[in-house]
Amino acid sequence: MIFSEITLGHYLALSSLLFVIGLAGVILRRSLLIIMMSLELLLNAANLALVAVGRFQGIPDAQVAVFFVITVAAAEVALGLAILVAIFRIKKTTAADQLAGLRF
Amino acid sequence: MIAYAPYLILLLPLFSAAAIRFFLHPFPRISVSLSTLACLGSFLGALTLLLLGTPEGGMSAPPLPWVEIGTWKAGFGLLGDPLARMMAVVVSGIALLVHIYSIGYLAHDSSRSRFFAELSLFVFSMLGIVYADNLVTMFIFWELVGLSSYLLIGFWMDRPAAGAAANKAFLVNRIGDFGFILGILGTWSLFGTFQFSDLTSRVASSSGGWVVTAVGLALFCGCLGKSAQFPLHVWLPDSMEGPTPVSSLLHAATMVVAGVYMLIRVLPVLALSQVTMTTIAWIGGLMTLLPALIACQQDDIKRILAYSTLSEIAYMVMAVGLGVPGAAMYHLTTHAFFKCLLFLAAGSAIHGCHDEQDIWKMGGLGKRMPFTALVTILGTIALCGIPPVSGFWSKDEIFTATAHHPGLAAVSMAAGFFTSFFMLRMILVAFGGEPRSEGARHAHEGTLSMIAPMFVLAVFSVLGGLLPVDSFLRGAKEEHHASWTLWISLIVALAGFVPAYHFYRHAIREPLSLNILRRKFYVDEFYQNALVASQDGLGRLADAFEGWVVRGFVVRGSGVMARAAGQGLRLVQCGQVQAYAAVFILGVLLLMGWILMSGGVK
Repeated sequence: MIFSEITLGHYLALSSLLFVIGLAGVILRRSLLIIMMSLELLLNAANLALVAVGRFQGIPDAQVAVFFVITVAAAEVALGLAILVAIFRIKKTTAADQLAGLRF
Repeated sequence: MIAYAPYLILLLPLFSAAAIRFFLHPFPRISVSLSTLACLGSFLGALTLLLLGTPEGGMSAPPLPWVEIGTWKAGFGLLGDPLARMMAVVVSGIALLVHIYSIGYLAHDSSRSRFFAELSLFVFSMLGIVYADNLVTMFIFWELVGLSSYLLIGFWMDRPAAGAAANKAFLVNRIGDFGFILGILGTWSLFGTFQFSDLTSRVASSSGGWVVTAVGLALFCGCLGKSAQFPLHVWLPDSMEGPTPVSSLLHAATMVVAGVYMLIRVLPVLALSQVTMTTIAWIGGLMTLLPALIACQQDDIKRILAYSTLSEIAYMVMAVGLGVPGAAMYHLTTHAFFKCLLFLAAGSAIHGCHDEQDIWKMGGLGKRMPFTALVTILGTIALCGIPPVSGFWSKDEIFTATAHHPGLAAVSMAAGFFTSFFMLRMILVAFGGEPRSEGARHAHEGTLSMIAPMFVLAVFSVLGGLLPVDSFLRGAKEEHHASWTLWISLIVALAGFVPAYHFYRHAIREPLSLNILRRKFYVDEFYQNALVASQDGLGRLADAFEGWVVRGFVVRGSGVMARAAGQGLRLVQCGQVQAYAAVFILGVLLLMGWILMSGGVK
């Protein structure tokens, strides 16, 4: 039975799924808030793959790396939200396609 | 101990030059004495060596270790064979007389010290060429001689013409020296030796071929430069800008014959190729005639003599080309005496006329400077080869060698005709008639130190034919047999006096005007124009390259390219963050795909 045992493959499949969902969110959604959430999804998909591989292959270093990712992600969210608020105050919008000032 | 004597002879003048340059510069009197004494020492040493040595026995100095590269060694040896011993006596003897003459000639020159230091340097370098036992050593001294020639021509450095002449001499010699270097390297690669003494034996086991011809011609190229033969002869007449003692010592008696001496040294190599020998003989033959023609229309007394020097050296070159180095060496020796004498006499006339060199502004010097006139006439008789003075005997040997080469005989005898013509012209115009300038009216003989060397040289010029040069060179004087060339050359030489007497007996200005001769066959103009044309062409080419390639393509092109790339790429910037992210992800996917396709990360 395929479902009888959860293997590394399952974890990696889930991780990939999360990653693709996150990617689609980043590229397709308009709202900056949603884009940032999707970014978190991307990071956590990578985290899941790292933890799983570390667990199954017996590499503790991978799990250590995940802690760093979580820390950095927290900082990134704090910064990102601050920028988001600042942008909204100036532009009165958070739609990514309207924030196209840096263009030719 | 005597074996090291050449080193002493060689180093005395160098010591003098260095001492004057570094310590005695402010004391002209001491400098002059030191330089002259050093030269006297060298002369006495050289004379002792000449008299002690046997004709066949070498008195070579043991070589000092010099260059050692791995197993290859080159010693700094000095050669004491009869040729070198003879030549050393000629060089140091003439140099000594010129030293003494210069004491009087430059008595009022404030930079006498420098002059005598440079003269000592020259004596050192010239003796180095004479004693050198291999081509590399000879080349080093060869260059040193070129340097001292440059310094001495430009001695009066405040005269622009002197500087230009010095540069010209140096640069023209560079061309010849380049060929000489090629010849030296070629000799090494063909025969594996630089030593003159080894050449004869190595050459015997060599086969001919065009390479040997090329090497021989390259070596001859060195002679063309130093001995001022066509087409590199243009520097010698200009070098007359130097002080007259310099013209006498370097540019008539010793330095310019270094080329002939070198040819005699490398004769085994030259003789391998008939083409080389024929070329040398014919260049020599033609060069006897061309300068003799040019000299007929020159007005500067020193230039007349300079062209005559070119012609006489050509006789020696021709003799080498005909395979009679003994005759060349003989003529070299006698020529050194009478040409040095003629130059010193010319210097005396110039000095007496207060630095007037134009023969048309002299005139009447025969009455005011009888001694100078007398020695000039003696020198002329020797130069024209009238018996029984020295020039006759040495020229006769060369003419004898041309007996089987009618072409060369005709050319060189024609040269003899014109030599007589222009020498009598010079004497009649400068010493005959009435004074034609203020300087000539107040002409007077020089001091004793100027007269004495001329006297000694005059004696040698007259009696030089009796000098046993042959016995020093070849062991025994060869049986002398007069040939038909003797009589014809004599008649032709005497015939040259007739038209000169006819035209210049009462001439007060040039009765003949042959522009082509006056302008020296336009060789200088040709070089000038060729240089100008080629340099202009080169300049235009460089300008075009700079304009189109450097400025147009490299400098402006790179700017234009960067700007165009920017213009193109800014179209891509849409300002949409998500579009950038999509492109970024596409790139990552492509990279990953490429990595996986090519076998993954190792």
